[in-house]
Amino acid sequence: MRPELKEYNLDWLFASTFNVSKHLCNATPKELKSMFKYIPYVRGLLEPLLATGKPAMTFLDFFGDYYTEITNAKKNGKKVVMTTFCFDPSIFYAVDNVVPVTLEIGTALTSMLWKRGSTDFMDYCTEIGFSETGCSSQRGAMGAYLAGLGADIDLVALNMGGVCDTNSNAYAFAAQYLNVPYYGLDYPANLTSEDVQEYHHKDYRALIRFLEENTGCKFDIDRLREVLEEKRKQDDLMNELEEMQRLVPNPVPGIYHIMIYAGRFIFSGKKKYTRMLGEMVEIVRKNAEEGRSGLKKGIEKNRTFLLYIDNYALGISMVEWFEKKGISHMGSILSRTFTETAPYTTGIPGTTYRIDTTTLDTMIDTMADINARMPMTRTIRGPYDAPNMWLEDSISLAKIYNADCCIYNGTPGCRNTWSNIKLLTRDLEALGFPTHIAYADSFDSRVEAWETTETRLDEFYKIRGLL
Amino acid sequence: MKNVFQEAATTLDIPSVQEWKKKDRKVVGYTCSFMPVEPFYAAGILPLRLRGINATSMEIADSYYGPFVCSFPKALLQVAGTGKYGFLDGVVLSNGCDTLRRLDDCWRKMGQDIKGSLPPWFHYLDVPHKPDGHAFDWYVNQIKKMMAAIEKQFDVTITQEKLYHAIKEQNRVRSLLWELEKLRRKDELKVTGSEAYTAIIAGTVMPRDIYAGHLSDLIEDIQNRTVDVAANRKRLFLSGSVCDDFDLIHLIEQSNAIVAGENLCFGVRNDEDIVSETGDPVAALAAKYLSGSVCPRMMGWYQARSARLMNRIKNINVDGVILQNIRFCDLHGSENGLFERDLEKNRLPSLRIEREYGPLTESGRLRMRVDAFIEQLSSGNQTR
Amino acid sequence: MSIVAGCDVGSLTTKAVIIKNKRVMDSAIIRSGPKPAESAAKVMEKLFDQTGISQKEIACCVGTGYGRGKIPFIDHAVSEISCHGKGAQWLVPTARTIIDIGGQDCKVIKLDKQGNLLKFVTNDKCASGTGRFLDVMAKVMNMEVSDLGRLSAKSSAPVIFASVCTVWAQADVIKHINSRRPAEDICAGINTAMANRVSMLANTLKIENDLCITGGVAKNDGVVKALAKILGCRIKRIKRTDPQLTGAVGAALFAQERQQALFNNPNRRYL
Repeated sequence: MRPELKEYNLDWLFASTFNVSKHLCNATPKELKSMFKYIPYVRGLLEPLLATGKPAMTFLDFFGDYYTEITNAKKNGKKVVMTTFCFDPSIFYAVDNVVPVTLEIGTALTSMLWKRGSTDFMDYCTEIGFSETGCSSQRGAMGAYLAGLGADIDLVALNMGGVCDTNSNAYAFAAQYLNVPYYGLDYPANLTSEDVQEYHHKDYRALIRFLEENTGCKFDIDRLREVLEEKRKQDDLMNELEEMQRLVPNPVPGIYHIMIYAGRFIFSGKKKYTRMLGEMVEIVRKNAEEGRSGLKKGIEKNRTFLLYIDNYALGISMVEWFEKKGISHMGSILSRTFTETAPYTTGIPGTTYRIDTTTLDTMIDTMADINARMPMTRTIRGPYDAPNMWLEDSISLAKIYNADCCIYNGTPGCRNTWSNIKLLTRDLEALGFPTHIAYADSFDSRVEAWETTETRLDEFYKIRGLL
Repeated sequence: MKNVFQEAATTLDIPSVQEWKKKDRKVVGYTCSFMPVEPFYAAGILPLRLRGINATSMEIADSYYGPFVCSFPKALLQVAGTGKYGFLDGVVLSNGCDTLRRLDDCWRKMGQDIKGSLPPWFHYLDVPHKPDGHAFDWYVNQIKKMMAAIEKQFDVTITQEKLYHAIKEQNRVRSLLWELEKLRRKDELKVTGSEAYTAIIAGTVMPRDIYAGHLSDLIEDIQNRTVDVAANRKRLFLSGSVCDDFDLIHLIEQSNAIVAGENLCFGVRNDEDIVSETGDPVAALAAKYLSGSVCPRMMGWYQARSARLMNRIKNINVDGVILQNIRFCDLHGSENGLFERDLEKNRLPSLRIEREYGPLTESGRLRMRVDAFIEQLSSGNQTR
Repeated sequence: MSIVAGCDVGSLTTKAVIIKNKRVMDSAIIRSGPKPAESAAKVMEKLFDQTGISQKEIACCVGTGYGRGKIPFIDHAVSEISCHGKGAQWLVPTARTIIDIGGQDCKVIKLDKQGNLLKFVTNDKCASGTGRFLDVMAKVMNMEVSDLGRLSAKSSAPVIFASVCTVWAQADVIKHINSRRPAEDICAGINTAMANRVSMLANTLKIENDLCITGGVAKNDGVVKALAKILGCRIKRIKRTDPQLTGAVGAALFAQERQQALFNNPNRRYL
């Protein structure tokens, strides 16, 4: 790791970046232009983000809050729990003394905002013994926390066992390396059977006991209800956005997807996140009423559905490229919620979650159900072609969004999807969806430079006559 | 008997398995050591651990798996695609790791393209990633479900009595393997790693009773030997990703070293490595197969695993440890990093290597590292 | 008076050294052919021609490198990791950590004060972080590999290469050439990309001072300087001989030790 990197605390850096940049929302275009000269790398995210107006302000504001909380956790007597993006953090917001830190968010941010991305942190993990081929989404921020350049981690809790071994393995390594307690929720391949449901519920209760034992936290029924009710509002707003996305042209700006899931991964159940979603709905509604595309240029030439994730290596290059080409980003696997009220849920019992705030028990079961139906824990747990899994989800979403084609973009660290993406692609092609597999790493541009990814995307759209 | 084991361990056309088939008996393949074999023997079926040996290229497997995955499941698929597993009456797949559980997806897809490559029966055994509480109950239920599926598919009845018998007989094999392990822990070592490991691997594919007889003979033979094969050679322990090929052990033993023990998915680990013969047999099986959380797939159980392994390594009294992982095996790859650190704390030198599975291993570079490691151990500054 | 030799058959070059009276008498480097035995014979012949010494006069010869197992005339074979360690510490006595960047691999070696091998790591089978990476890049730049270091010293704004993959980085180099970035900036970028990769390997072993660099790439100032900057420590250079010869020097030193042991105890067999 470069010596200069060791001079700064990662959480503090993020907190400062967001707390300062939220004020840019009030800047004039001229002021912004001058400012961007001084922040050539942060600009990659900030410029397209600020262009979204109000939601950007809220987004920057709660990201500032999030990292400030982490930075000040020890000072405020709070325990820091390291968790993963697919773990719904609202449970932590139902107690007073726990602060979550989500590795993949930190990795994506460093990849987007920094000159060299998070490569130094990634390499640090390898230097201390972690597998070099492990998923880059954890390796980035994880390196910083393991090097003592972020908050002191008190415990590790996540939900990826049985879904993504690489992910769980990274967190298990971190817990062992830092010598802190670990709890991983575990998922069988099936989603809907009664015994699986029971397993989810028992497992989540064991997690609650683990949290109570290791943080001394106390779950307050009223506060938990409040958080879940807030989450219900958030789901409703996301559903509305999803529903409007079916319109042609799609009135939802592509960058919203990143903002929606990034927000959900850190601020689920928090009021500011609800506010951002509300602001988004307002804008999209207006776009829809006026028949306007969410693309800046206003002309939609293609509708692309992302089968997995976006590309965050050096700015949000992929989203920007879509903008440039007139391609509507129809969301990715990460954008989805699987609440029973979501527009694309299949209606098959057990595939979705219901927020039930009747009693403490129903609320805990609800949390278990939500965690078992986060984007990855629901979609890529069982065989890709099993009911309600990756293939069915992809087909139904691509169909209802009227997508012209699909793109797979992920990380070479993903054993799970790299073990069946060729099969999925083949089936989607057979169903008439041209599908492109990108060999890039969403978080590490060293694997494939964005320019190369771009050339290949360009080729794909041209050769398949999609633009 | 050496040839019997050699034959079973290095080829897929195993005479004793062919004999078994000739008598119109069933053979079911499986992929992970968390799959209990006893219910199959109780049903009169031969459980056969699937191996990817003899896969010299990956052109079939590469059509289904992507490029960034471990070569072991790929090799299994390749072998299956070439029809060499055509004799199987079924396969039990399980979630040993992400890539291995996706063998289910890939194999089924391949079955659409290559006629006859799909076994007549697939069963998915869902093994939890933790050994206790509700996970234990879940696993018990999974074994029961598997037994019901076997009964239905093969029209057999697995009685409690048959299961008890199968447990008892398999325990006999385990006891023999433990005897072999004890012989390898002695100061005077009379069996090379290659020979012992060949015998251990053979046990995962040969019919149990035939195997037990040969293994018993081998143990007796070793006891009567006088030559110390470890004299003036470094004793090593080999740990990490699945390794059912012998090239690696051969390569190490060509470098003035003896592999005195392994922790590679196979064999027994200690004298407690046995299924209880009292109480509910299914619960006893679950307890044995989950005990010690022996694989890094059991996330969060490193300390228990590490303590047992350290203890075992100390008992074997080795000079150094080779920690290997197949490329893209992140589970063992990372755990090896932790082991390396902890071995160092115990002043035990180790060498970490990354390789491809089986015949794809690049021997020249590995040889250089192993040679250097032996030179390191011989250079006078290493504490045992 | 004793004359001993070391012969290092590497993947790209074959090197030989003769040590006479504990001093390097002469050395030779040739490109490796497909057969290690032939390359070894050829380099030794060259050395005999240069020095006038005959094969018979060599009291002991140790072979190393990938082809070491196939050299018929050597008395003993030692791995190149041990040889590089041995050679480097003889050339820089204070060296405790050695980074050797050869044609197709990169090793980091840790030694104790006595020169005993404590630990080592080598790169995986990828070409990034090895001399081959620089060879390929120099070819794309249409220059000699030795110019990479010289030119990069003039750069004030090194290009950042996204990819360290030898295949992808080539495409990046071409892109920068086409966009008319100055050659020195591209060279500096190449060297930094290489140093980044090597630094990760070095950090795995936790560097102890003094750090010394050997192998052909040690001749590239650009890489050495970039590496020192990333690692945040000084790198000692080998001045007594060509750093590419370190492995062969180490092999000759092993030959000398064996010869000495035999001399001290004529009844004793080689170790």
